[in-house]
Order: sequence, then structure tokens, then C-alpha cells
Amino acid sequence: MISRLFPVIQTGAFILLALILCSLIFAAVGLSATETLGAIFDGAFFRPNALAYILRWGLPLLITAVGVVISFRAGYFNIGAQGQFYLGAICAAFAAEWLRGSPAFMAVPVCLLAGMAGGALWALWPALLRVRAGADEVITTMMGNFIAAQLLVHVTSGPLKDPSGSGQQASSRPIDAAWRISESSGSSPVIIAIAGLVVLLGWWLVNRTSFGILSGLAGRNPVMVTWQGAKVQRIAISAFVLSGALAGLAGSVELMGPNGRLASGFLPDHGFTAILIALVAGMSVIAAAFIALFFGALTSSGLWLPVMTGLPSSAIDIINASIALFITAKAGVFRGLLARFRR
Amino acid sequence: MSPDHLPQGAGASVPALAADAVTVRYGDVTALSTVSARFEPGRIHAVLGQNGAGKTTFARVAAGLVQPAEGSVSVFGRQLAGGDVAEARRAGVELVHQSFALPPSFTVAEVLQFVGPNAGLFTKRGIEAHWQTWLDELGLGLDAGARIRDLPIEMQQSAEIARAMVSDARLLILDEPTAVLSPEGTERLFSRVRELKRKGVTVMLVLHKIREVLAISDTVTVLRGGELVAGPIKAGDLTSEGLAELIIGDGAARLDADDRAALVGTMTGQHGSHSLPDAPPALVLKSVSTAAHSGGKGLNKVDLTIRAGEIVGIAGVEGNGQRELVSAIAGLDPLTAGEIHLADRRMDKAPLADRRDAGLRVIPFERNVEGLSLSSPLWENWSAARLVGGSLLSPVRPRALRSAAEKAFKDWDVRFNDVGQMAGSLSGGNAQKVILSREMDSGARLILAAQPTRGLDIGATMAVWKALRQARSDHAGILLVSSDLDELFDICDRIVVMVSGQAVAEFSAPWEIQAVGRAMTAAGQHIVEEKTR
Repeated sequence: MISRLFPVIQTGAFILLALILCSLIFAAVGLSATETLGAIFDGAFFRPNALAYILRWGLPLLITAVGVVISFRAGYFNIGAQGQFYLGAICAAFAAEWLRGSPAFMAVPVCLLAGMAGGALWALWPALLRVRAGADEVITTMMGNFIAAQLLVHVTSGPLKDPSGSGQQASSRPIDAAWRISESSGSSPVIIAIAGLVVLLGWWLVNRTSFGILSGLAGRNPVMVTWQGAKVQRIAISAFVLSGALAGLAGSVELMGPNGRLASGFLPDHGFTAILIALVAGMSVIAAAFIALFFGALTSSGLWLPVMTGLPSSAIDIINASIALFITAKAGVFRGLLARFRR
Repeated sequence: MSPDHLPQGAGASVPALAADAVTVRYGDVTALSTVSARFEPGRIHAVLGQNGAGKTTFARVAAGLVQPAEGSVSVFGRQLAGGDVAEARRAGVELVHQSFALPPSFTVAEVLQFVGPNAGLFTKRGIEAHWQTWLDELGLGLDAGARIRDLPIEMQQSAEIARAMVSDARLLILDEPTAVLSPEGTERLFSRVRELKRKGVTVMLVLHKIREVLAISDTVTVLRGGELVAGPIKAGDLTSEGLAELIIGDGAARLDADDRAALVGTMTGQHGSHSLPDAPPALVLKSVSTAAHSGGKGLNKVDLTIRAGEIVGIAGVEGNGQRELVSAIAGLDPLTAGEIHLADRRMDKAPLADRRDAGLRVIPFERNVEGLSLSSPLWENWSAARLVGGSLLSPVRPRALRSAAEKAFKDWDVRFNDVGQMAGSLSGGNAQKVILSREMDSGARLILAAQPTRGLDIGATMAVWKALRQARSDHAGILLVSSDLDELFDICDRIVVMVSGQAVAEFSAPWEIQAVGRAMTAAGQHIVEEKTR
């Protein structure tokens, strides 16, 4: 039991350490550490309708993060979640444009599937480059993020441009109100159902299929799995495509739900926060679900802070960065220390 | 404590090496425990023991590489502070490691010039002439102008010895020098060592084969589990059986008669013989070739048949195509020509998963890389082979796999706490048993066993041999690759010698040890000559 709880306690301890580091930083720039952290947690968990906001920001993150967990488990550092998320939204937006006028029961699923296909395609080419040519997926997927961001600029100011748009930000025409799967400000049963399904399927895939066991082994030692007769390339491509598809799904959910239109440069941190969630969650889909909701709460607090307390929303970025720092350091320096404590 | 009580004082010679209650610890592991021994100068001393007995640690302490936690070491009367190679070198001791480390692009003369005291301006021709004379006096049979990378392994070892002798070593320690040599190479090494002895050099050899120890050494020292069992004893007073008892210790009592005979036989190089079964082939290779790659030359028209119920050994100096052969049969290295048949099915294009379905099993060369995923749970390691055949989406029942793995581990006497523990937490012998329990199931028709006993202690080695013999009586065909000729002689029905990716000769019992050895080296010469013509 203790051994099961250990990772939970460890992760909690790292988050606590990160918060202590944040307080130091806040103090250094002249903010009261306790007040700032208090305000952040008020904004995250205790304001009116806090749960709705947590779900609004947490669920899309959760969907992307489950995908990232799948690719990390298989040993591939697909850090292109952001690009795959954008491509998902772009493809869903094209589908929506193309289906304009058709009934919701047909259009919504097609748009969501188009989003998954877009994300999957944006993960497929780095996967092929990796298994065929040995190109490092960290580099290719990161480049993919930049290309995807430029593509988003292009389609929102070109093929999908809303002619009536007058704002500074280029964007597409709004999604038909009948197709929206949530209000602009919140979550909805449809999104909760999609996220629940993703967690369920993700858990099943990781823990109850050949893919799950073999990709976990391949992530740690691909040579061994090859000598067992597994087709490592097939496992790699599946892991990439699955994680891309989930990021793409999150992109189409954002489009069809809270956003309601494709805007240039929307949610620029989504993919990176999802990677952070996957890192904090280790290799566990269930953990990723809980941690995604925590980070969703922080994100919602980041939007609330400047409005309600006048504190900068970058405080949230500092918290995220500190957590990332401690979680990635855990592999190196801290593991040795912990090993001593455990003896 | 050392059993010999040599007179101390005037007239008594100063020992070349004297260890006094030396204890070495690596973390929690005690590698050597209060070992005391005195080695007379001008003799050839053998240090003998199983894997993990502390032989190499002892050699490293003597050479100043390792500082003992307790006790002291002195060389020719000079006490070493320990942990300082330069100090040990000044005292006159040099160690030649098991693996060689000379710069491949240098010539022998350049290496010696670089290591030696003769820094300054020099010409290529000048140093070659200088060192050639020196080498000829030493009797190492080396060409001073040859580049290290062009030297065969045996000559690289000679170059290492020459390197060690540059600083006028009076005590030369060779760690497992025969491990990389053919039987003939071993004999040539031994005659070089005798030549060094004639010149007054004290030589300490770390060895693990009784036959070699008795052939070369003046005294024998036996270590077991980090403790001194006996020695130095005069080699003339020993028999191979007596020495085997000393090496194995209490373990000897636990072995049954067959194992005991096999073990002593293996250590001494005696051979058993098995009748060749008349059975259908489990594996047929027809003129199999593979492409050369960075690691080696590839296979060159290998023909090989292994019948059901037969163990065929692959002998050869390491790096002559053994790895390529195993990879090709496993389907991990594509053929450029030829055919592979498993039983009666042609499978040279089939993926490994299909070959496994047809009964192929692999105990790979690198236990910790190819055999196991060390940071994954034991049960996942065990299950992998059972999951690769079907679709990636086939459902898995972890509980059933865990209990199946647990049962298999118990059948194979694996020492483990929980099937969920990481494979990396097991010892080498236990890890190998996990692989055996996975690969040697009832469906095994052809087993590729690549160096299955390397690095294992006696108990685990016996378990592997027993498993291979059992598989043979269950009518599986077995391909056993080993660099330990004695292991092959003991367990195989036939032995095929590989040189440069070719199967150059085949032998069956009764073995002619010298003939096999000649095939490993002489045939190699022959091929090289043919190719240069």
C-alpha cells in the first residue's frame, strides 16, 4: 500500500516544493507570497462556479494529456501536442465550413473526427521520419508546432477568414450555434462524456491490451521487445498517431465548444501544459486525469487573477514552470536523495 | 590466513606481492574479505575461482587500482598506499586488463614510445627500429610497425603485455588473458609467459579453467566468495579434481554425480559424447548470406542443419559471425541470399513473431539489453513473448499473466519477491532463469542459446545446462553459441566452427580439442590468404 501511495506523496511533495519556490519568487518581486498564493487558490477552487471553470479548462487539457502519456510510455517524446491540437482545430473548422447547413447530429461527430484525423496526421509524419530515417522526434515535433502555428495564421486570415470580422485578431466564421457542444464560458455534459470516454479508453489501452504492455516495455527497452518478435515500428507509429489524434480531438472540442470559432494564436500554452501534466502524472492515465483538472484550475485562476485582484496572470506561469522544474529534476538529483530516505 | 609460513629475516627473499588481511568493499558488497597471501618472485602464480570470487578485485588491488578498505599490500617490499596506479607502477607492478584499450590507429612502436620514458623528437623509422629490437628481446613476436587495429586479438594482447613491460615491470598481472584466445593462442601466450619468467619477471595470471592453471602455473591460489580458500599451493601437489573441490566448496556436496562429472570435465576440458539422433531437422540453413554492416562482415554462404533432439555448438573466436547467425535465424537481419527452414516451413522472410509461432525461441547474447527490460516488471518481461503474435489491440488479462509468470518462475527456481518487481533487481543468474522460463516452454522446437552461461555462477550455469539437456530430450533442436570451448565439448552433439562469417569445419564426439582449435585459427588464416590472392 505504501509503495502504491509513494508516487502520489512524492508528486504532492514536488508540487509543494514548487509552491515554496514560487513564494520566494513572489517575495523577491515585492508581492506578498501568502496573499498571492491565497488569491491563486481562491481563484482556482473557491470562487463561485469554480467547478465549472475547472472542467472548462481541465477537460480539453485532460484529453491532450492522455495522448501525451501514451506516446511518452512508448518512449517517444512527442512534444508536438500544441501543433497537433492546432491541426485538429483547423481540420474541424474546415469540416464545419464544408458541412455548413447540415444537421448537428451529423456535423458534430464529423467535425470531431476530422479534428482527430488532423491531429493524427500531424503526428504521423514525425513518426514516419523517426522509424524510417531515425530523425529525432523531439526536433521534428517541435518544428511541427511552429509550422502548425503559421498554418493557423494562414487559414484564419485566408481560406477560413471571417469577412465580417473587424477585430484585430484574425478568425474564422463562428460555428453554427446549433452545433456548439458547450457555452463559451463553460463545460457541458457532452465534453464531460468525451473526456470520460478518453480516460476510459486510454486506461484500457494502456493496462488491458497488448499495445499497452508492449509499448511500456518498448519505451524502456526497444531492443528487448524486438528480440521478443514485436514490431516496434508499428508500436511507435500507433503511439504517435494515438497521441496526435487525442490532441486533435481536444482542438476540435475547443473549437466546437468554448471557443466557437477558430482564432489565430488561440490557447498557445495548451500543448505544453498537457506535456507538463503527463510528466507530473508519470505513466498513469488516471493520474493524468486528476492532474489535468488541477492544472485546469490553475489556468482558470490565471484568467481570474488580473480581473479580481490585480495580480499578474504570469504568476500561474511561474507556478507551472516551477512544477516542471521539480518534476523533471526528480529524475536526476532528487532520485538519489529519495533513495537514501527510502532505505 | 595464508597457510604457508615462510621464514622472515635475512636470506628470505622479499615476496613479489604480499597481501595482508586485505578487505575490499563496493558499497554494501564485500568483494574481498581479509585475504592474506605471499607470492614468491620469479614464479608464475595462478589465481583461480568462480565468477564473483574476487579474482579480478584481487588483481586490481595488487595493481593499485583499488584501495582496500582494510589491510595492506606490498610489492617487492614496498608498501602501497593503494588506489594509486603510478605508485604501483614505480613499485614495479603492471596489470593487463581483460578488455584492451590501446589506441587503434597507433602502431605498436608509437604506443610504446608514447607510454615509455623516451619523450622528445623522434622519427618513425627510428622508433620502429628501436622498439623492434626491444620486442625481439622480450620474445613477444610483435611487429613494431603494425597498427593496433590490424592486429588479431591475440597480438593485441601481446601489445598490451609489451605496453606493460615498457616500464620494466617486475610483477606482471594478466586478468583472464585466455578468455579471448583460441586453444592454440593460449598455448602461444603461455610460452610467452614462460619466456618472461625466464627473464626474471614474476607473473600472476587470473584464470578460471583448471586445465590451463595446471598447464602453466608454479603456484595456485583459490578464492571463493571473496575469501581465500587456499594458497599459494605448489601446482605440482594438485589434481584437477582436488582443485575443482576447492573452487566449488560446499556447493560440491549439493551437486549430483552427473553435474559433478560435467563440471570437473568442463573445467578440465574432458569431453562427453552423445549419440547423434536420427530425427527430422528442426532447422535448415541453405547457403545463407547476410550483408556486412558496421559491426562485422555478415554471413557468407552458411549451410547448417540441426535435427530435433540435438545440440549443435557454434565455436569460434568472438566476432566471426556468431551474432549475425543468431540474428539471421531470428529474422532480425535480412538475408541477401539463401534459405532458412524451420522444421519443414521455409521462413527466411517471415518476421520473428511468425518464427516464434513455429517454435523458435531465443536466449539472446546480451541478457540485460536483448533479453530483459530491466526497468519493467518481471511479469511484463515474461509476458512479452506471448503478446507479440496477435493484434496490438488484443485484450490482456494482467492477473492471469501475473499468476502464469509466478508459476513459471517457481518452476524454474527463480528467487524473487513479487512478479511486479523490476527485472533489474535480480542477480545475473536469476535474470537468466527468468529468460529460460520464458523461452523454454513446451512449444519450443528450436532454441537459439547465445552465450547462455556467460557471467553466471556455478549453480546458475548448472541450471542452464540442465535446461538445455532437458529441451534436447524433449526433442527440441538447440543451437548453442559459446566462446567457452569446454562448455561446447561437454554439452554438444556436434560442433561447427565459424570463421569470418563462414562455417568452416564440423566436428562430432569424440572431440579432438586441438583440431577444433586449429580450425578456429588456421582456417581463418586460410580464408584471409584466399581473399588477398
